Amino acid sequence: MAMKRIQKELLDLGRDPPCNCSAGPVGDDIFQWQATILGPADSPYQGGVFFLTITFPSDYPFKPPKVAFSTKIYHPNINSNGSICLDILRSQWSPALTISKVLLSICSLLTDPNPDDPLVPEIARMFKTNRTEYNRLAKEWTAKYAE
Amino acid sequence: MNGEASSSSPQSQTEDDKKSPNDDDQHGTYECNICLETANDPVVSMCGHLFCWPCVHQWLETRPHRQTCPVCKAGISKDKVIPIYGRGNPNPQDPREKLPPRPAGQRSEPEATNLLHNFGFGGDSNFQFSFGIGAFPFGMFASTLNFNDGRPGPPQPNSPQQAEEQFLSKVFLWVAIIFIFWLLIA
Repeated sequence: MAMKRIQKELLDLGRDPPCNCSAGPVGDDIFQWQATILGPADSPYQGGVFFLTITFPSDYPFKPPKVAFSTKIYHPNINSNGSICLDILRSQWSPALTISKVLLSICSLLTDPNPDDPLVPEIARMFKTNRTEYNRLAKEWTAKYAE
Repeated sequence: MNGEASSSSPQSQTEDDKKSPNDDDQHGTYECNICLETANDPVVSMCGHLFCWPCVHQWLETRPHRQTCPVCKAGISKDKVIPIYGRGNPNPQDPREKLPPRPAGQRSEPEATNLLHNFGFGGDSNFQFSFGIGAFPFGMFASTLNFNDGRPGPPQPNSPQQAEEQFLSKVFLWVAIIFIFWLLIA
């Protein structure tokens, strides 16, 4: 079931790729994927290419995939390990979601961080109190790690 | 990518296209929202979302305490999905009845009702107060009030059986009162 569904998603991704995102298996293991997200144009991450790792559980799609950034990013909801604080990757996961939808959600998280549910409180505080400095640091990290 | 290019491109000739070459408009219409394949043993939720019964069953099992529609998060349950019977199925069977069988209702055998202590309040009134400690998985104890639930009526007056029952009733009434009192102070 899991393998069939992952293959189906891979096929759909090839047919109708989401904009600014791509994803596919790393090697022979269909349960291990790598994805790339281009920094959204209306965000300080613009111009960056961010790599993510995706690990599918054996009971996918009943359990969410594990998605993490492998590129360093300055963001209130993404920590230094690349872990992403996103409800649909935990409690709000639904088997009707696909990797394509998850990547789109991560894109919109880059555009609109959620400082009220932060993973990195310092960055959330910066985002709330000093937006100019947040933008500057996010751009600096993007240039340093993602270009 | 325009339609012409994709239809002429050999790379887009997938297995699905080969199976059904001329139903491009219908592509995806009857796909299960979980496995993304054409629904097998289809059921539809009250909110209108189509699933294979095995798929949605597994999802309901995964989150028994928060059963929501995978698509719209409306509340769904085993009994709130409708099986769909298409033409050409020689032996239509409610998919919910198979794979896996529905859990049986939980019912204790008549002997076990000895655990439930009943006291009739005399006469023709069928008012009963049941009190018991059961092995039901979801509660350590349960109290129920039953009105006319079809139990046999009280025995004939002045019979030894009635005297014994009245004695038992009083004993169990006191046990119940002590237990409730203990619950209140605990």
